[in-house]
Amino acid sequence: MKKIHPDGWLTILLTCTTLSLTAAPVKIELPAETGVFKTGPGVEIANGQCLVCHSVEYVATQPPLPRAFWTASVKKMREKYGAAIPDEQVEPLLEYLAAHYGAVVTNPVPASISNSVTKIIIQPAPGAAASATKYGCLGCHNVSVKIVGPSYRAIADKYRNDPAAQAKLTEQIQKGGSGKWGPIIMPPFPQITPAETKALTEWILEQK
Amino acid sequence: MFTNLNQQNAAGSRRRFLQTTALVGAGSLAVGSGVAALAAETVTLPFVNGDRSLVKYPQKRPLILLTTRPPQLETPFSVFNQGLLTPNDAFFVRYHLSEVPTEIEAETFQITIKGKVNTPLAFSLAELKAKFEAIEIVAVNQCSGNGRGFFVPRVPGGQMGNGAMGNAKWKGVRLKEVLNQAGVAAGAKQVTFNGLDRPVNAQTPDFVKALDVDHALDGEVLLAYEMNGEPLPMLNGFPLRLVVPGYFGTYWVKHLNEITVVDETFAGFWMNPAYRIPDNECACVEPGTTPAKTKPIARFNVRSFITSLADGDTISPGHELTMRGIAFDGGYGIREVLFSPDGGQNWHETQLGQDLGQYSFREWTIPFRPTQRSAYELKVKATNRIGQSQPLTPLWNPAGYMRNVVETMRVSAV
Repeated sequence: MKKIHPDGWLTILLTCTTLSLTAAPVKIELPAETGVFKTGPGVEIANGQCLVCHSVEYVATQPPLPRAFWTASVKKMREKYGAAIPDEQVEPLLEYLAAHYGAVVTNPVPASISNSVTKIIIQPAPGAAASATKYGCLGCHNVSVKIVGPSYRAIADKYRNDPAAQAKLTEQIQKGGSGKWGPIIMPPFPQITPAETKALTEWILEQK
Repeated sequence: MFTNLNQQNAAGSRRRFLQTTALVGAGSLAVGSGVAALAAETVTLPFVNGDRSLVKYPQKRPLILLTTRPPQLETPFSVFNQGLLTPNDAFFVRYHLSEVPTEIEAETFQITIKGKVNTPLAFSLAELKAKFEAIEIVAVNQCSGNGRGFFVPRVPGGQMGNGAMGNAKWKGVRLKEVLNQAGVAAGAKQVTFNGLDRPVNAQTPDFVKALDVDHALDGEVLLAYEMNGEPLPMLNGFPLRLVVPGYFGTYWVKHLNEITVVDETFAGFWMNPAYRIPDNECACVEPGTTPAKTKPIARFNVRSFITSLADGDTISPGHELTMRGIAFDGGYGIREVLFSPDGGQNWHETQLGQDLGQYSFREWTIPFRPTQRSAYELKVKATNRIGQSQPLTPLWNPAGYMRNVVETMRVSAV
């Protein structure tokens, strides 16, 4: 007969207690996002605006539908889902989507998707804030509240005493995020000019 | 290198195959991240722009990737030939909003019941299990847009083959009992359901769904915490999801943590204008036109599939096969499944398999002996116990919902 050492019971008891009191949270890690938009004029707008809320397959897996579909889709993103795409970016974005993901299609276009885009006025703020609007930064970052990414205030707080703050933020903007703030990784924004990046980083670090 | 993995092509005439691309370059390994978005294989769904990667997600086997953020995964059709219950690791995944929960503590999770109730309540998972009777039901969950990629003319939206469905044994407690404990107030009209998934952009409407009070209190709707004997996989709604037997997946709210009784018809975006179908008998309109009036999508229509062969397969003349597949409907139960070996000219009654309940997949089988070397057009058509069946030509609606045409599979005997 197998004898159980007294300590063995203790171990089993402790294990059970530990399990029942501190069951670990269920945690998963989602695979990295690998899809990218096709390159071409206007891709910077697609990167800056569409990827705020969803990955590229939302566009790339659509059938080759005519421009009217993309018009309706961008309208829906702005009006129903609140995408902050400035007026002046709508036409170039439609050009890009129709050229790279659209088609001259023989399908009839449902009347429901052939309406024109309603004009949405998004007032650009001056300076760096205007850049933040232009590139869709504000889709993920609010000045004071965490949305997807951290608030600008939280970023400023984190780097308040870091002499390399500006360099770090510049790299983050140019190359994209590393996931240090959460599970959704910021896409790179190489289309933001060095001057705009400098203004943006200074503006972000000023937030209190 | 092409490997035929016995995938079913439900509608197209083109052969569907799996293409093993065998990525060998160093760049194909997601080194260091611990999670590899490693698309070693691709699958081509039989419609234009139907190339997809097979990608492994946490708690999942490699599934057909529709979108990465938020994750949307389709079940490879061959899975449906392997058993009536769809394994948890093969079950499809559909989200709408990108702030998907990835870490949840079951111990501290709470669900609240509020709104037009006599006593607002909150329960932990343990309390739900302790206070209410555990109920098990086998039920199909199917995405409203399952098979959208086959629509002609094509429509925008998630471009899926027929793999956005699954059948599981769900275990949970009756929504009715939970609501009764809170006490639904007089004048209540609907009950809304919200989960932990959230929009990225604060302007995007949160994913909230509603059922009429009578439906919520019918005793069939469950708050489920188990699926096929295991806790729900995270991507299928851990730790608690709504199970609405017979109804499209849009109502099966995942990570459910907020139930609100309201005294009006809930007007949230995901009830109106999203997830609406033409308000007529067929839920269809002339292709390319807009319905005059719409209503919320509701029960499944009747569907049936061949699972034992795949489109484009080669079979042997003179050799008897057992044809097999599945059928299901919105909860009345399948009465008969007919099989046609000749493109719909002749129909033969199949034998129905084990009955796991009226909300489950029902297996059908029939022997089939191809007599000559030729091409065969195989079809199945199911009818439920109230006489609803499947159309021979596809019905169309602008959102690409509720495909249920009699599917056609083309094979050749050589």
